[in-house]
Amino acid sequence: MDKILQYLQPMLEGSEVTLEIFLLTFIMVLPIGLLVALGRTAKCRPLQWLLELYIWVMRGTPLMLQLLFVYFALPLAGIKLPDMVAALLSFTLNYTAYFAEIFRAGIQSIGKGQYEAAKMLGMSYSQTMWRIIVPQMVRRVLPPMSNETINLVKDTSLIYILAMNDLLRAARTIVQREFDMTPFVVAAGFYLLMTFVLTWMFKRLEAYFSQYE
Amino acid sequence: MKKKMINAHGIRKQFHGQNVLSGIDVEVEQGDVLAIIGPSGSGKSTLLRCLNRLEEVDGGWIQIEGDMFVQENDIGEVIYAPKEKSKEIQGRMGMVFQQFNLFPHMTVMGNLLEAPIHVKKQPKEEILPLAEDLLARVGLSDKKDAYPSQLSGGQQQRVAIARALAMQPDIMLFDEPTSALDPELTGEVLHTMRELAEEHMTMVVVTHEMNFAREVANKVLFMADGNVVEAGTPEEIFDHPQRQRTQDFLRNML
Ligand SMILES: Nc1ncnc2c1ncn2[C@@H]1O[C@H](COP(=O)(O)OP(=O)(O)OP(=O)(O)O)[C@@H](O)[C@H]1O
Ligand SMILES: [Mg+2]
Repeated sequence: MDKILQYLQPMLEGSEVTLEIFLLTFIMVLPIGLLVALGRTAKCRPLQWLLELYIWVMRGTPLMLQLLFVYFALPLAGIKLPDMVAALLSFTLNYTAYFAEIFRAGIQSIGKGQYEAAKMLGMSYSQTMWRIIVPQMVRRVLPPMSNETINLVKDTSLIYILAMNDLLRAARTIVQREFDMTPFVVAAGFYLLMTFVLTWMFKRLEAYFSQYE
Repeated sequence: MKKKMINAHGIRKQFHGQNVLSGIDVEVEQGDVLAIIGPSGSGKSTLLRCLNRLEEVDGGWIQIEGDMFVQENDIGEVIYAPKEKSKEIQGRMGMVFQQFNLFPHMTVMGNLLEAPIHVKKQPKEEILPLAEDLLARVGLSDKKDAYPSQLSGGQQQRVAIARALAMQPDIMLFDEPTSALDPELTGEVLHTMRELAEEHMTMVVVTHEMNFAREVANKVLFMADGNVVEAGTPEEIFDHPQRQRTQDFLRNML
């Protein structure tokens, strides 16, 4: 028991880093992902191609490789970012692609009757999107969003390779020093707790947005 | 002479190189109720959607209340009114769809207020009495806080009619407003439309309800294969159809 308490301090600090990366990424990904999705569904061909290319690259290469690129390759080109910024940039770029695809599928699942009704009532394109389409989309994208959000929690552990002291790295440091596996179990507990809380929150949101269905 | 609300001439429309409308004329005067009838696939919906620019015509011209909505120039190019003007003209027409197309995430009242407040920028206090009056007229005052999913199809369609009326259109277009309804629910929607006609609303109604067309409309247009086969008063079309095609269609409908 004493041992766990003694491990807890560095591990709490590690989970703070993990949480910070998770939350900041999540907060940035939502609006940017939505904008990318709207761009993908807008009628501008060049914009569509550009965004398609971006999504293809982000989803078609490992997140680990993208992290290494931002962290090690960019400095060679003279762009040296602080660790935290580099990590946030990589995660945001990567996860924006996934969330944008989820939002796009949600937007495209809304029937054309809604657009026609809005048009006949004189609503502009942006009014139609923000007031009619996106609010209906939210309810439909919550389940896939929940999955992707949990993936993000777990993927934050990839910053392990960037020598940032996140939860996983804190755990491994202790394991290597003390030859005791308990920190891994504690780390698993942290991740499970976060996943549990997120799952619960998404369930509540789904219930809230289902009231009109 | 009564005001011409819709004056359309030679409307042509193709889909994938197929003629769906091959030169249609439509004339609607103030207070007219025009029923458009005809077999499935004859182009009735397409015609209605061309009148309000949900589809763009490939040829011909349309005037709404004397204003040029679309015309053809000397070399056969189709030219619509400038963007703002076109939107304004479109706003004079309310549309009721077969599938209602209510906004499911808004209450009944929310559906009615959405466009007056956000498109016309009317203050809520100003539009609220009208919206409440409209709901009373369609018999749904007690449902104003309900969501569309909590209503029957007939109730939803009546809300859709009220929503279109809340924008105070000069012309109401209906595309088979009762076709998605169970037979026992069509009556209430037709009743609402009948009342609207009695208040001299100008209406264009695509319908399979021959009794409604006969009793409520004062003009009937029978279409087949993208052409107007016969047009006239309900008596002329239903009691004395001149063309074989019309006679066959009516015999099958009865
Ligand atoms: N968006 C579209 N793209 C391609 N073809 C279309 C489109 N809309 C209609 N059509 C075709 O145009 C023809 C006329 O269709 P329309 O919907 O106007 O007929 P309708 O008289 O309303 O029939 P119904 O009584 O079944 O509603 C049909 O052959 C239909 O397949
Ligand atoms: Mg039709």
